[in-house]
Amino acid sequence: MTRMLLFRLLQLPLIVLAVYTVTFTLAWMVPGNPLENPEGRRPPPEIVAAMQAQYHLDDPLAFYGEYLAKASGVAWVMGTSPHPFDLGPSLRQPDWSVNEIIETGAPVSMRLGISAMMIALTVGIFAGVVGGMRPGGLADVATQLLSIVGISLPSFVIGSALLVLFAVKFRLFPIGGVSGVESLFLPALTLSLPFAAYISRLVRFGMIEQMRSDHARTARAKGLSQRQVALHHALKNAFLPVLSYLGPATAVAMTGSFVVEKVFAVPGIGQHFVEAVLAKDITLVMGVVLVYSTLLVLFNLAVDVMYRWVDPRIA
Amino acid sequence: MGSLSVGREFLGGGSYASVVKVLAPFLLLLIALIATTYLDPPLPRADLVIVERSDCFTLDPQRMSYQHEIRRGETIYEGLVALNPKDCSIKPGVAQRWSTSSDGLVWTFNLRRDAKWSNGDLVTTKDFVYAWRRALLPDTAADYSGFFFEIEGAEAFFHWRAKALAEFNARNSVAPTTAEDARALWETTESRFRDFVGIRALDEFTLEVRLRRPLPYFLDLCAFAPFSPVHRASVEQWTHLDARTGRMEQSHGWTKPPHLISNGPYVPTVWRYKRDMRLEKNAYYWDAARVPSQSVEVRVIENPNTQVLAFGAGGVDWLPDVGPEYKTEMLAQRRLFETRHAETIHADQARGMELDECIRTLPSPMFGERRDIRALNAYGTDFFSFNCRPTTPNGAPNPFHQVGVRRAFAMAADKQALIDRVTRLGERVATTLVPPGSIQGYPLVEGLPFDATRARAELANAGWVDRDNDGFVDDRDGKRFPTVDLLYSTASPRYQNLALALRDMWRRELGVPVEVRGKDAKLYKEDVKKGNFSIARGGWYGDYGDPSTFLELQRSTDGNNDRGYKNPAFDAMLDDAQRETDPDRRLERLAECERFLFAQEVPLLPICSYVTVYMYDPSRLHGIREHPRLEQHFDEFERIDAAEAEASP
Repeated sequence: MTRMLLFRLLQLPLIVLAVYTVTFTLAWMVPGNPLENPEGRRPPPEIVAAMQAQYHLDDPLAFYGEYLAKASGVAWVMGTSPHPFDLGPSLRQPDWSVNEIIETGAPVSMRLGISAMMIALTVGIFAGVVGGMRPGGLADVATQLLSIVGISLPSFVIGSALLVLFAVKFRLFPIGGVSGVESLFLPALTLSLPFAAYISRLVRFGMIEQMRSDHARTARAKGLSQRQVALHHALKNAFLPVLSYLGPATAVAMTGSFVVEKVFAVPGIGQHFVEAVLAKDITLVMGVVLVYSTLLVLFNLAVDVMYRWVDPRIA
Repeated sequence: MGSLSVGREFLGGGSYASVVKVLAPFLLLLIALIATTYLDPPLPRADLVIVERSDCFTLDPQRMSYQHEIRRGETIYEGLVALNPKDCSIKPGVAQRWSTSSDGLVWTFNLRRDAKWSNGDLVTTKDFVYAWRRALLPDTAADYSGFFFEIEGAEAFFHWRAKALAEFNARNSVAPTTAEDARALWETTESRFRDFVGIRALDEFTLEVRLRRPLPYFLDLCAFAPFSPVHRASVEQWTHLDARTGRMEQSHGWTKPPHLISNGPYVPTVWRYKRDMRLEKNAYYWDAARVPSQSVEVRVIENPNTQVLAFGAGGVDWLPDVGPEYKTEMLAQRRLFETRHAETIHADQARGMELDECIRTLPSPMFGERRDIRALNAYGTDFFSFNCRPTTPNGAPNPFHQVGVRRAFAMAADKQALIDRVTRLGERVATTLVPPGSIQGYPLVEGLPFDATRARAELANAGWVDRDNDGFVDDRDGKRFPTVDLLYSTASPRYQNLALALRDMWRRELGVPVEVRGKDAKLYKEDVKKGNFSIARGGWYGDYGDPSTFLELQRSTDGNNDRGYKNPAFDAMLDDAQRETDPDRRLERLAECERFLFAQEVPLLPICSYVTVYMYDPSRLHGIREHPRLEQHFDEFERIDAAEAEASP
């Protein structure tokens, strides 16, 4: 276990470096210049030149090296940068550093993503178990239908419908901003639906298989009820595929919530990322990608550790 | 595969162990959720909640540029004087009194002794000198540096410094410059500013400003956010001289809470970019007793759809910019409400009440009506520019160089029809550029009316008549009127719809071939700047309370004269008017300039005054002002709770 952990942690910087390099190349290949702004504010040419030199926008290789050194903390260790993990200033919002933008947006996106995964797990496992215990039954057909809806309906449709119904019509939830738990409920629910649907299908399939297995038959022979067999014997094994899905899914829920963030005006990191790509705000794009690829690797690691714990045979 | 785990359970593995294991990821997620909530705790509701479409780029007053940013600036900072939002007259700010010399060139401001920064420091003349110097340094890259050029020596100082920095850079590329070099250049800069620029602190509380020409609207400029003071000591902690470029570099940490020190009615205490900003009443503000609301939350919601839904769900007091999808339909509901109560409203308004006050006394709207949306006339005009250059970009003679052709096109446009059928926001028809009633003492100027018959006569006078009865006008040689290239930006459907409607009007009334050409915002702007159009969509919002903010656009040399309109007679008229020292006579002469422009020359075709659409419930929110400059000051806003509102209708 310790060896696995150490090995994976050593892998982390290499994976992130690879992601950085690929993103960097792609970002640089996009035509346009982050310092030109057709809508209003155009700094005088001499200031543009000075900024280009300052950020090495005239020299991609220097940018690549310097940004990497600052972002990774190497520059800080060497004493050439005052802060560790300095992701630089945003090129389009010169008053804000990328670190500041991520610090305000990331906790919100993470909260949204985590809440969504919690809902997805609860709903998905419940629906999967109910359906998997009696395949073809009424409950199974109903949950299957719902999961198809959850997977196929785009989130802006579900989101807008929930918004109009529960926030505007019944005034049960506030809209916009993040105040308490209630303000995140609707966006988290919207975001969770496709995940819940997928989890329910994974669990259902696993349950059907497990309930037909030898050990389930043995358990039934012991005199356990159908429910006991399902909960104590079948569920654990049926849950394993969900666990391996959970790592990347949580990362996707936390990063891929752009549409939900837009519909519900949740001030997360998704909007910054998409806008940064459109505006070619390279530092912001790189910063968000770096933070998220690190998170993704760490989530997958956490899932692997849990996997070994749930099913010690894996080790 | 199953036998192993079953075996373990037979050997005494807890029967609930598997359930616990299934629950474990759930618990981990819960812990993570609690941790992120702890890292980012929610704030209690503020007294006022305002929703804006975009966040401020900066809270550095000298670098502010956008309307919502300037509005925030005027809430956080206080300049020498301030505008009274009700009628846009000047009221004292940090300066208690002021006087001007008889030639109008020297202004002396006496600062109040009780004006304080939010950390308790006194606001002194040094803060103003420092702030205004920042605005005049190219290093700051301030959008409104040009406004300060009216101060004696300021423009020369700005260009001198820009040139010195360019030379410094050139030197650096030959041999590396040192911190010493940058320091020496900075010291020269400081002494040049002291010696040549007409901004002087006579003592801690007396400021003298010398202008290069009399400027009757100088006080209006002083009320503008970029003229606000900054707390020198706190800003200087974030600046340093760059040895490589010689520039005074600043990092923007001082513009964010908790470092930001301000002198206005409110201080920002939380600012989360593109998320929200929280303003708390500044306890040290000299007039704090007047400010009704303790705290203001400005939330950013970019999606216009969600904005309106958020307002509809309650909890938002003011939406200053309603998205185009909703405006027309909801405004129609407002009109229904007003129509039903028209008599009462007219009677109340005749007694001098503002519309909001009248609405407040009326019973709640019925089904299908609403009172929480309102279109207010703004300080801007929507227009289409004629390309007045003698030739088109490909060298052919340009018919719009002829005054008669421009007049014909202007009179053939039925603006009321455009407003009723295309824009549908109930705007006021405009025949001139300065919005009526926006500047005290400025007379009403009438431009050309809609008159299709006269329009055709003007076109015929200019030599364009349908000689071959093919439905299109031709010149004397029988050559058809060149196809009019009508350019618009695709940034909003409004421009496309207006362009299409105008095309049909001109084809129908004048018999000219018109083709519309939509371009995205950037390419549209490039084409406009290059003069690559016959008629192009335009629009202008005034910057300060003087007609010249609109009229100077037509000056031959003005940077925003997209029409290429060059008329020395007009330039001379404008100069003469600007030289007039008597304020009333000056406004009269500026009105003559405008009359000359729009009754005779028509370099552009005004369509309507812009409106800004707000959402707020007048029975809940007090303090919204209807003066076209739409100076809305948060420190005058007050939310009346529903119970109180019911009790005192």
